[in-house]
Amino acid sequence: MILAVLFANSEGNILIERFNGVPAEERLHWRSFLVKLGADNLRGTKNEELLVACHKSVYIVYTVLGDVSIFAVGKDEYDELALAEVIFVITSAVKDICGKSPTERLFLDKYGRICLCLDEIVWKGYLENTDKDRIKRLVRLKPPTEF
Amino acid sequence: MADSSGTTLMDLISSDPAAVAAAASSPANNNSTSSALPTALGKPVASGADKKSKKTTLLQIQSDTISAAKAALVPVRTNLMPQKQKKKPVSYAQLARSIHELAATSDQKNSQKQLINHVFPKLAVYNSVDPSLAPSLLMLNQQCEDRTVLRYVYYYLARILSDTGAQGLNPGGGIPTPNWDALADIDALGGVTRADVVPRVVQQLTTEATNTDTEFHARRLQALKALTYAPSSNSEILAKLYEIVFEILDKVGDSSQKRKKGVFGTKGGDKEFVIRSNLQYAALSALRRLPLDPGNPAFLHRAVQGVSFADPVAVRHSLEIICDLATRDPYAVAMALGKVVAPGGALHDVLHLHDVLARISLARLCHTISRARALDERPDIKSQFNSVLYQLLLDPSERVCFEAILCILGKYDNTERTEERAGGWYRLTREILKLPEAPSVSSKDSNSDGKDALPPKPGKDKSSKAKRPQPLIKLVMRRLESSFRSFSRPVLHAAARVVQEMGKSRAAAFALGLQDIDEGVDVNAFAENTDSMDSDMSENPFSAGARKTSLVSNGAGTKDTVASLLASLMEVVRTTVACECVYVRAMVIKALIWMQSPHESFEELGSIIASELSDPSWPGTLLNDVLLTLHARFKATPDMAVTLLEIARIFATKVPGKIDADVLQLLWKTCLVGAGPDGKHTALEAVTVVLDLPPPQPGSMTGLTSVDAVSASDPKSALALQRLVQAAVWFLGENANYAASEYAWESATPPGTALMMLDADKMVAAASSRNPTLAGALTRLQRCAFIGSWEVRIIAAQALTTMAIRSGEPFRLQIYEFLHALAQGGMQSQFSEVHLSNGEDQGASGTGLGVLISPMLKVLDEMYMAQDELIKDIRYHDNAKKEWSDEELKKLYETHERLLDLVSLFCFVPRAKYLPLGPISAKLIDKYRTKHNISASTGLSDVAVATGISDLIYESKEAPAAEADTLDDDLVNAWAANLGDDGLWGKNAPAMNRVNEYLAGAGADAPDVEEEHTVSRPSGSYDDMWAKTLLETAEVDEEDGRSSGNSSPESTGSVETSISSHFGGMNYPSLFSSKPSYGTSQDRYGASRFSTPSTTGPSIYEGSSSPIREEPPSYESSVMRRFESFENPLAGQSIDYQEENRSSSGNLQFGTALYDFTAGGDDELNLTAGEEVEIEYEVDGWFYVKKKRPGRDGKMAGLVPVLYVSQS
Repeated sequence: MILAVLFANSEGNILIERFNGVPAEERLHWRSFLVKLGADNLRGTKNEELLVACHKSVYIVYTVLGDVSIFAVGKDEYDELALAEVIFVITSAVKDICGKSPTERLFLDKYGRICLCLDEIVWKGYLENTDKDRIKRLVRLKPPTEF
Repeated sequence: MADSSGTTLMDLISSDPAAVAAAASSPANNNSTSSALPTALGKPVASGADKKSKKTTLLQIQSDTISAAKAALVPVRTNLMPQKQKKKPVSYAQLARSIHELAATSDQKNSQKQLINHVFPKLAVYNSVDPSLAPSLLMLNQQCEDRTVLRYVYYYLARILSDTGAQGLNPGGGIPTPNWDALADIDALGGVTRADVVPRVVQQLTTEATNTDTEFHARRLQALKALTYAPSSNSEILAKLYEIVFEILDKVGDSSQKRKKGVFGTKGGDKEFVIRSNLQYAALSALRRLPLDPGNPAFLHRAVQGVSFADPVAVRHSLEIICDLATRDPYAVAMALGKVVAPGGALHDVLHLHDVLARISLARLCHTISRARALDERPDIKSQFNSVLYQLLLDPSERVCFEAILCILGKYDNTERTEERAGGWYRLTREILKLPEAPSVSSKDSNSDGKDALPPKPGKDKSSKAKRPQPLIKLVMRRLESSFRSFSRPVLHAAARVVQEMGKSRAAAFALGLQDIDEGVDVNAFAENTDSMDSDMSENPFSAGARKTSLVSNGAGTKDTVASLLASLMEVVRTTVACECVYVRAMVIKALIWMQSPHESFEELGSIIASELSDPSWPGTLLNDVLLTLHARFKATPDMAVTLLEIARIFATKVPGKIDADVLQLLWKTCLVGAGPDGKHTALEAVTVVLDLPPPQPGSMTGLTSVDAVSASDPKSALALQRLVQAAVWFLGENANYAASEYAWESATPPGTALMMLDADKMVAAASSRNPTLAGALTRLQRCAFIGSWEVRIIAAQALTTMAIRSGEPFRLQIYEFLHALAQGGMQSQFSEVHLSNGEDQGASGTGLGVLISPMLKVLDEMYMAQDELIKDIRYHDNAKKEWSDEELKKLYETHERLLDLVSLFCFVPRAKYLPLGPISAKLIDKYRTKHNISASTGLSDVAVATGISDLIYESKEAPAAEADTLDDDLVNAWAANLGDDGLWGKNAPAMNRVNEYLAGAGADAPDVEEEHTVSRPSGSYDDMWAKTLLETAEVDEEDGRSSGNSSPESTGSVETSISSHFGGMNYPSLFSSKPSYGTSQDRYGASRFSTPSTTGPSIYEGSSSPIREEPPSYESSVMRRFESFENPLAGQSIDYQEENRSSSGNLQFGTALYDFTAGGDDELNLTAGEEVEIEYEVDGWFYVKKKRPGRDGKMAGLVPVLYVSQS
């Protein structure tokens, strides 16, 4: 289960969050924990360099892309490496939409489209589509495989 | 965006579009609309003025709620500075109205653009969608042609469906929105609730999802997807969904065989096939989100069909479904998969599928089936799946390879089964990978490239080498070693985790004694046995190319043993400690702890940990996690208790401020319970190490370098250290008796033994010779009670009371004496040789503990008094040769119960066994109980039960799961999660909170509630646990006691006299020999004269204002005194009786030992219950007996108490 996908800006404001199977009262903890994690560790990190953390059996992989930091939290089959995969798909989709590493402004301009992409990538807590073209087609309401 | 702090997301997103234009890189999108934006968004407010009058109330409420919600949204954002707002952010109400209006004109390009570029993206910021938007969305859905608009519409419809109605509980996120349904009720006119719209939404989506028009099928997929977002609690929608999915699969599921996989990934192909495969994908994706239906053959059938589908995502989903099903019913799944698993079947194609998650599911599936018990009689099927699993070890993706390793190791889910783990280690070290001669091998080369989503690793060309059978262990080691050279932190973390799991399996294998896992054996031997293969030489160049360590370990001429492979791996693992990420380091340390075996020196590990702990960047949670790993490691291999305690000590000394005292206690406790009789002393010593730490010197930084010194340089860690000491003190008090196996209710020494130890030094000497462990603990506690900080002293006093209540005689008296001194103050130098002080004034007037100690002393006093009373009564009855009347017994029993209640307030004692009146009361109590049919079990009369304190204890009942026998990691983790948490995942039980509060010092200023706290400590239940085991083992004794319950009153009466008189003949100075006291009256008076100076002491008859005495008080002395004072008439009878008794002795007799007896002195004799002895003569209640053959101590003859032998 991918418990959470979270986007934050460089100041720790949360831009997008998607929780799956996390009770509402725990989300607050997650938000502050992830933002703190990012604030502690992401300074000076290269774009798309993956960082890792874990707590008990919950794994966290996070990275920074332009002005935006991206966090993925998962458990069970979504361990560090699977989450790395998730992050990889997300970052490539975001880069695809924004055309480059996004500034915060650019990210917000493409907000809706990014949400749609995310919707195609993570579906009810499971990784769904990983292929860039496929995601692009689905966001445009085209069939996943074109004829 | 420098100015973005203090703004909400909506502020950010709708801020000045001038910045947008500047920042936006794709002007094509913005040119036409950016100028229209402000007006477009502003317009509805103006043009909708007429509506506004109607909806004023609603909108007002909405915007109020929103602004409140915005303020609460992101707590991280601290400064809500008043900000010059250039643009007013768009409110939700404005957005909603825009949608309504634009939906009406959705055929116009302009409206569509606004929807796409402004309204929908901004709406996405909110975490739920107003159901009143649904009609407009549905209208858009029906009328609009624009694909992007439609895509958004599906997105929002799905969100309306997924909204469970409870505010903010939907899976989305974002700015909290109001409770729409509640608002709709207020607005009587146009209110729309979810209940109104959901059926309409579902209906429309269902219609679309069943639309078979090929032109429509992209929308069909999205409609189906949106439907799956409906909450699974809605059975109506679920039934509909199943229907739709199976209908689709009925049509498209079967004929998948007509095309082979070569097509997918490439565009083109015939249209029908593509549509079919798209539908297959959509149907299986939906099926994956639906609840499993394990008993349904159609479900399984469709899922198995899915393995052959062309769409890779569909294949992944079907594998995931099958994998889930296989855990429930492996047999049915294996049968259904019969064809696809065969060489060349669809499952083998999955091996080359460009989808990591699909291969992970494949690994899990193969593991589940190949280990299934239900398939034991079908080894052929099992081996088929097993071979697929082994092939996955060669997978280019780390994720898949690691999953395969974990599966082989027996780590499948979180259920830990030792046998499974041990078997896993055996498989890993023994088995070999033989690739089938199938086309898959050749095709592998072409397909494997680019499969890996992660950065590719060197040495990808394994498949060509892998044709030769290879021992699994070599493959795995090589793979892991190369992974440890990765720069990616997730890879390092995962590799370390795999090594940790390997260590767990290895420990399990050793624990189960699978000792044919000889790690010195050449691994290639197994391979050679089964198949002729190339020599090692040809293999080495391969490994030499990319990996240095492989070269070292596989160097030509050396044999590859498991041990050597492991050693080289561990070398690489150790270097990984240098990683800058603490989480990776923590995982590496855990791996090292798990791979540590009991017979290796742990110096290296210790120094790694010690140097790691000096790094201030370690968060406390991680350190506690590592401590818990130690705990788990200990449970797997109890032999390592000492090693692990040493490591734990490093934690306690290096980072006392970060580790949780409770976690450390858990570790101590488990080690104590699991260490076995020999290890208990060591375990207790490890705890006391904490007490021996010098108090932190303020401002000193020297401690940072040495392991032994405490680094508590700042006030916070000093405080934490103090808490740690508190925990250790408390732990000692609770567990010293257990560690020393010394219990009052098991004590072989009757209470009168203390009589001879009037001199404090002698008493201590006797005590320590009897039980050095307990004596050591006592000494430490006494020291703490004097020189600790006040909080520590309180707990030390409590601990001492606990020990006094639980221990047998010399100790109880010693503590009693000590507590007295403590309550009175003074005399410190006598007890504490160390004159260290923390600077606190201990005061001449006492230790400040008087208030606290006096209730404890009172209980002890009462116990001693009642014992005196009992002895008096017994003697009276003996002398008068009277049976005990029922009334008297009742009185005695009531005293017994009352004392039990009192004692139970201080600490746990087994009520059925505990005898506050001393062992001699056992028979009488028993007599009364049998007479009146009173069960000895606890029942409701237990104060702890009656007052509900026990509820408090049992609330944290997970603790006993930490018992060494049950290797239940999860429970421990669950328990420790409550303890070791930083509150992030906090589910703290209320009782735990209280305990933590108390440990945090909340109880320090409330000595009046200490009783309750003492009882409510979590390990009260733990005590309960070990006490239960004691009860079981001691059952026999109880039986014996009962059988002899009606032995003659003569013998009952003489126990006290006999014992005390015997001490007259011992090496101890008979200061107080009772022999004279019972012999001749002259001697007795002599004795009491002698004792007079000390008798003024503790007796509560004298009041507690007695002066401080040099001599420790003896309660026996007060017995004497009271004998003198009000029992003189009886004394004469007593003498008569004794003389008579003596005269009757001297005949040669035989007897049987009733109980075990431990010799208390040189001329005493150890007895084992049931032993036959020859009674030579009787002296003052002691028999001089001869055994038939020498006992374990080699002695043949000696003195034993009369009571312990039944004369035959």
